Amino acid sequence: MSATFLSLQGVSKRFLGLLAVDEVSFDVAAGELLSVIGPNGAGKTTLFNLLTGQLSPSAGRVVFNGVDINGQPPQARARIGFGRTFQMSQTLTSLSVLENAMIGSFLHHRHISAAADHAYASLELVGLQHRANITAGELTLSERRRLEVARALALDPKVVLLDEVMAGLNQTEVQGMVDLVRTLNGGGLTFLVIEHNLKVVRQFSHRVVVLDRGAKLAEGSAEEVLANPAVIEAYIGKSKQ
Amino acid sequence: MPRIRTFRQELPPLALTAVLLAALVGLYSGDNFTLNILATTFLFAGLATAWNILGGFGGQFSLCHGVFFAEGAYLTANMVLGAGLSPWWSLAPAAGLAAATAVLISWPAFRLRGPFFAIATMTFSEVVLVLANYFESITGGPQGMRVPFRPGWQNMIFTGRIAYAWLMLGFLLLALIVSLVLLRSRLGYYLQAVRDNEAAAEASGIDVLRTKLMAFAISAAVTGVGGSLFVMYVRIVDPPTLLTLSDVGVRFALIALIGGVGTGYGPLFGALLVVPLEAWLRAELGAYAPGSNLVVLGAVLVLAALFFKRGLVGAFQSLPLPARWTGRLART
Ligand SMILES: Nc1ncnc2c1ncn2[C@@H]1O[C@H](COP(=O)(O)OP(=O)(O)OP(=O)(O)O)[C@@H](O)[C@H]1O
Ligand SMILES: [Mg+2]
Repeated sequence: MSATFLSLQGVSKRFLGLLAVDEVSFDVAAGELLSVIGPNGAGKTTLFNLLTGQLSPSAGRVVFNGVDINGQPPQARARIGFGRTFQMSQTLTSLSVLENAMIGSFLHHRHISAAADHAYASLELVGLQHRANITAGELTLSERRRLEVARALALDPKVVLLDEVMAGLNQTEVQGMVDLVRTLNGGGLTFLVIEHNLKVVRQFSHRVVVLDRGAKLAEGSAEEVLANPAVIEAYIGKSKQ
Repeated sequence: MPRIRTFRQELPPLALTAVLLAALVGLYSGDNFTLNILATTFLFAGLATAWNILGGFGGQFSLCHGVFFAEGAYLTANMVLGAGLSPWWSLAPAAGLAAATAVLISWPAFRLRGPFFAIATMTFSEVVLVLANYFESITGGPQGMRVPFRPGWQNMIFTGRIAYAWLMLGFLLLALIVSLVLLRSRLGYYLQAVRDNEAAAEASGIDVLRTKLMAFAISAAVTGVGGSLFVMYVRIVDPPTLLTLSDVGVRFALIALIGGVGTGYGPLFGALLVVPLEAWLRAELGAYAPGSNLVVLGAVLVLAALFFKRGLVGAFQSLPLPARWTGRLART
C-alpha cells in the first residue's frame, strides 16, 4: 500500500564516453518539495529527462508508486502524473498562449471549451491570463517560462519537475513563482525543482539533493547541504575554472 | 476570458464560401470551358485541403498523396468496369483503402523526420508508379483504363459539364468540413502541437506517432475520394496521369503552400489562383511552348515564397484591415 511515491534506484546515464548521471539513488515522498542543485554540467537536466522519459537510463530503475516506469515513453508518464518544464523553453510558437496551455489541459478535458476554461485557470496561476489570445511566439523569454509552467500544471499532474524556471525572471516574477510553487505544494502537489538561485532553494525546499559530475554529492535540508564543505567546494571549484 | 474558436463558429464562413462558389458556377452555367476549369479548381482545392490536414496542420510534408488519389481512381474504375457497380458505392471503400495504406506506410515513414519523411514518401510514390505500370490486371498498365460514356446519375456520368462542377464543389465542401472539424478538435490541436514541437507534445501526454497516423489516415481518405471522382470526371486514366509527382502529389502541396499552408482556407485560395491560371496558360501558350505552364507555376511558387511566406491567406491577414475581418480567415 504505502509504496514510495517516487524512487530512483542506482540510476545511471552514459553518453558515449561521458557518465552524465552516475548511480544516483534517492526517494521523493508525496507532497514533498525537493530541490536538485549542482554546478553546470552536473547532470541535473539529464536526471530530469530520465524521470520524465525523454531519456532511458543505462542502468538502474525509476519507480513511481511501486511501478517500474523505465520502459514508459514521455507521453505515458505525462498520463500517470508527470508534468515538466524544459530548461530551454519549448513553446508551441504558432499557437496562442491559451492554446499552449490547452495542449496540457486536453489530457483530462476532451472538449474544447472545457479544455479552454481549464487552461485559462492555469494561465491565471502564472499571471499570463492577459496574454491569453496572443501568439505564443511573441512572448518574452520570462513569459515563455511561465507559460511552460502553466502547460505543465494544466496536465493536473501529481508531480511537477521544474528545470530552472526562475532563470530570466525579474525579482517580482521570481517571488511570484516561489509563492505559486509553495501554494500548490501546500495543496499536496509534489515538486522537483532544479534551481541555481540558492536563496530560492533555501526559501522553499523541504530537502535538497546535490549532484556533482553525475553523482549524488549530498542530500538533506537546505541548511545542511549548503553548509557541507564538499558542496561548497564543488561550487567554488567549478566557478574558478 | 478564454476565447477559442469552435467548429460551430466556422459554419457561417463555410456557408458563405459555399454560396459564393455556387454563385460562380451559376454565373458560368452556360460556359463549358469555364465550368471545366471550375470543376478542376474545386477538385484540386479539395485535394490540397486534404493534403493540408497532414502537411499543414501536422507539418508532415507528404509527397505520396498521389498514391491515395490513384488508389481511389483505380478502385472506382475496377468496381465500375469489373463489377458493373455504381461509382457511388466506391467512394467509401476508396476512402477506406487509402486510409489503410496510410496507416501501413506510417509505421516506417514516421520514423523519419522533416525532409527525410518527404523523401521517403516521394520514393514510395515513385515505386507505386512503377507498380501501376506493371500490374495491368488492376490498372490497365500503360494503356490505362477507359470508363465508357453512359450518362446518368447512377453512373456519375453527365452530359452537361455543370453537374461535374456541382459534384466537385460537393467534394471541396466535404474536404473543408473534415479539415475544419479536425482543426477545431483535440486532434487538430495535438497535430499542431506535434508540428510546433514534438518534445513539448510528448511531455504533454500526446502520443506523437498516433497523432500523425490519425491525421495521415484522414488526409488520405479524403484524397482517395478525390481520386474516385477524378476518374469519373476524366474517364480515361493511366499511371502517369494519376501518379506523376509534379501533376499530383507535389501539386497538392504546392497549391496548399501558395494559398497558405496550415490555414483552413489557404488551400482553397491557392487552387483558385493556380488552377485557372494554369488552364489559361495551357490554352494560350501550350500550343507553341509545351510545359510553359509548369514554368509559370514554378514562378508563382517562387513569388509566393518571396512575398507571402504564409501564403495568400497570410498576406491577407497582414493587410491593415480590422482583425475582426482578417481573423475570419485565420486559424484562430
Ligand atoms: N544528449 C546528450 N548527449 C551527449 N551529452 C549530453 C547530452 N545531454 C547532456 N550531455 C552532457 O551530460 C552532462 C550533464 O548535462 P546536463 O544538461 O544534465 O547538466 P545540468 O546539470 O543540467 O547543467 P546546467 O546547470 O548547465 O543545466 C554535460 O556534460 C552535458 O554536456
Ligand atoms: Mg540543466
